Amino acid sequence: MKPKASAGGPSFWTSFRRVFAFFFFLGGRTGRSRVFFLLGLIPVAIAVMVRIVLAGRTGDVVAVFNEILMVFFVTFDIVILSLFYGTSIVAEETEGRTLPYLITRPLSKTAIFLGKYAAYVTLMFIMVSTSLFLSFFIMNGHRFRDPALYLTFLRYAGALGLGILAYTAFFAFLGTFLKRAILVGLMFGFGWENIIQYFPGSTQKFSLVHYMKSLMPRRPSGGPLSMLLFRLEPTEPAVAVLTLVVIAAAFLALACWLFRTKEYLFEE
Amino acid sequence: MTAVIETKNLSKWYGNVLGLSDVSLEIESGITGLLGPNGAGKSTFMKLVTGQMKPNIGRVSVGGRDVWNNFHLFRRVGFCPEQDAFYEDVTGWEFLTGLLGLYGFPPQEITERAVRALDIVELSKDKDRKIRSYSRGMRQRVKFAQAVAHDPEIIILDEPLSGLDPLGKRRLIRLIRDFQSAGKTIIVSSHVLPEIEAMTSRVIMIHQGKILAQGDIHSIRDLIETYPHMISIRCSDARALAARFVPDKSILKMSFGPEGRSLVVETHQRDAFFSRLQTAVVEGGIEVEEISSPDDNLQAVFDYLVGK
Amino acid sequence: MATVREKGYYHWDGQLTEARFPWWPITRTGILLAFKKRGFRFLFAGAFLPSVVFLAIIYISEHLGDFKFWARGSEKFITITPGSFKIFFTNPGFLFLMIAMLVFAGAGLIADDLRHNSLQIYFSRPLKKTDYLLGKMAVVFFFILVVTLVPGLLVLVFKVIFDGSFKFFLDYPWLVLSIVGYSAMLAVFFAFYTLLLSALSKNSRYVMILVFMIYLFSDILSGILQGIFRTPYMSLFSIRANIEQMGAFIFAQKPPQAIPVVLSFLVLGGVCGLSALVLHRKIRSVEVIR
Repeated sequence: MKPKASAGGPSFWTSFRRVFAFFFFLGGRTGRSRVFFLLGLIPVAIAVMVRIVLAGRTGDVVAVFNEILMVFFVTFDIVILSLFYGTSIVAEETEGRTLPYLITRPLSKTAIFLGKYAAYVTLMFIMVSTSLFLSFFIMNGHRFRDPALYLTFLRYAGALGLGILAYTAFFAFLGTFLKRAILVGLMFGFGWENIIQYFPGSTQKFSLVHYMKSLMPRRPSGGPLSMLLFRLEPTEPAVAVLTLVVIAAAFLALACWLFRTKEYLFEE
Repeated sequence: MTAVIETKNLSKWYGNVLGLSDVSLEIESGITGLLGPNGAGKSTFMKLVTGQMKPNIGRVSVGGRDVWNNFHLFRRVGFCPEQDAFYEDVTGWEFLTGLLGLYGFPPQEITERAVRALDIVELSKDKDRKIRSYSRGMRQRVKFAQAVAHDPEIIILDEPLSGLDPLGKRRLIRLIRDFQSAGKTIIVSSHVLPEIEAMTSRVIMIHQGKILAQGDIHSIRDLIETYPHMISIRCSDARALAARFVPDKSILKMSFGPEGRSLVVETHQRDAFFSRLQTAVVEGGIEVEEISSPDDNLQAVFDYLVGK
Repeated sequence: MATVREKGYYHWDGQLTEARFPWWPITRTGILLAFKKRGFRFLFAGAFLPSVVFLAIIYISEHLGDFKFWARGSEKFITITPGSFKIFFTNPGFLFLMIAMLVFAGAGLIADDLRHNSLQIYFSRPLKKTDYLLGKMAVVFFFILVVTLVPGLLVLVFKVIFDGSFKFFLDYPWLVLSIVGYSAMLAVFFAFYTLLLSALSKNSRYVMILVFMIYLFSDILSGILQGIFRTPYMSLFSIRANIEQMGAFIFAQKPPQAIPVVLSFLVLGGVCGLSALVLHRKIRSVEVIR
């Protein structure tokens, strides 16, 4: 996508920024966003409980975070948020019949779509990273002086961020042409993504969660708490990052093309 | 005058249902009323003109440029949709300033424009209330405000008077006329014909996806030769007046109004009748209180065109 | 007094009677609307799959000789007892299918009415709030009972037929009541659960997410807390685990969790109570917006 700067019309990036600002403001103030934000704070509450209950057993505390709380983030929180916000990009406008307000503005449809996508991804990342930050540092409070801790946190945050990008792009693509994208998304996110992890070999690579898990800091498998990385045959981190980025870009491109060419008629 | 909006062989289908059929129009500046019953194709036409839908056949252009996927045009266009739909949980002010922000105005200009637009529609006092607490009329007015806040040259209003009380309608009609005086091009759609009549005499009549007629309402009426003109004369002695016209072969039909106080005449030769009326009234010493043409209005013209 | 008559209109001289089941049109419409969605029809058909599998197992158990070639050593496992019915009814996959059905058919029951301001239209008819809620709940009852009660009773009947005698029925005469009781418990709980969430938002997409999310999240949370605190009482956080506890009790089996069954009953009852409270507050003919 090249920025356009034609006479009388805004460039792509200008349009993108305006749409981003509009939907970042709108998205952040809805009750639903507050509910999702609070839901995301449950790991923080668990982290506090664990620190109290398992006081002194730092090894177990760290294991709980790595293998249990991260399960919550990776296989549940990210998927639910991305599914809702991703499908909302178009569905919100068609169900709410507010699409005319956008497409009768001097904004390219691609900028509208991507601006809204970026706004929602940013919102989601803020929600998730706040929860991740608090729960991570509560559970690893004994290691504040260890610089490796901060690198580990950044790895987790990066993996979740890339997961948000990829999942949201996929669900946004579904939302551009499916009427009941939520249902297909639920089947993908909690059906396919969960089941495929149990298949050995390269079958795992047909899921997005595989690449997110490949980016997680690894520990020796085994023990009762190895839920997150169970049966994982990881991909190289650089390849995993690239794959997630390419998947996000591909689905976004498809979604933008559909959004530009499709007519959205409201049910009368 | 050059056309601001032009359509050529414009057609649109919804599956097997014809929305609009072979519409070729030129719309000039000023107010143009788009009228027709529900389902006639008015909203379809407006959606095609505002680029929300792509024509199946033909083209629609604004300022000589095709509309579909040509978002640059929309700096000059303001659209007020028919649907009563808004973003959730926003106040009138946030709604207006948010949408103005999409044009790229600097913050101060956004504030000034929003204040002006809310003043125009008399919603300044309620700007900080949530839109979902607004009455129907207030919601309609804030929709109108977002269509005009950026000072567009072309304003397209889909049923803008819907939901307004009579006073509100009068105010909005006056506003629309003010915009016309400022040189803007306005298309207003309605299925309530007197509302269009109050705004403009230039109309496009649409029915079942086809254009029935376009132009000045009175000229359209004159063109409809098939149907005789109806003239109603309220006078002191309707029967005496009627007696004078009985021998006149150009009179097709005469009837009396309630309590015999008016005479209703049908004739193909309206101008000739009026000159004979003058003579009859003077010679008969009849006092004429009112002369009107019951069918020289949009409803009657529309009914004639549709074949009722 | 003059009466207005026009062609086609005739004054009714009879007596107007109240409809006996005022909630029925609401239920009928809700069921028909669900079946109009193509994807739902597939899902609904799929919800019978566990019953078909159970029926097949019962058939195999009665004709073990015909299946000796691959059932060797498994005779013990396919002896049909009330425990088998409990396993069938409380199977997590089966419960998941029911949740999927509710996402489709139940999420918009009240949310869509709130969105379109239809409550005013409902209550301008001679319809009470209880009629409205009963009508909506009956939609959920229908779908849950059709995939639980009906197949459950049919499976029992087929068991007797395959057995060739009434021995199984006479050995466990209370099994019919268990099937009815468990199906009714599921139907009532899921009706309250679905309507509670549907009443919380005008956005049916959001409600779909909530229906699924809360069910799944309760399970995940329970698992996490059990892993941390290592006590079975954490299973009370899980909707699925509570249903399994109740199911085990109703089918006179040993509960999977070592906690009193009454606690699970209280949890599920609490959700129903909360739902009733929320529905009472949210379902009003007039909404005052400040």
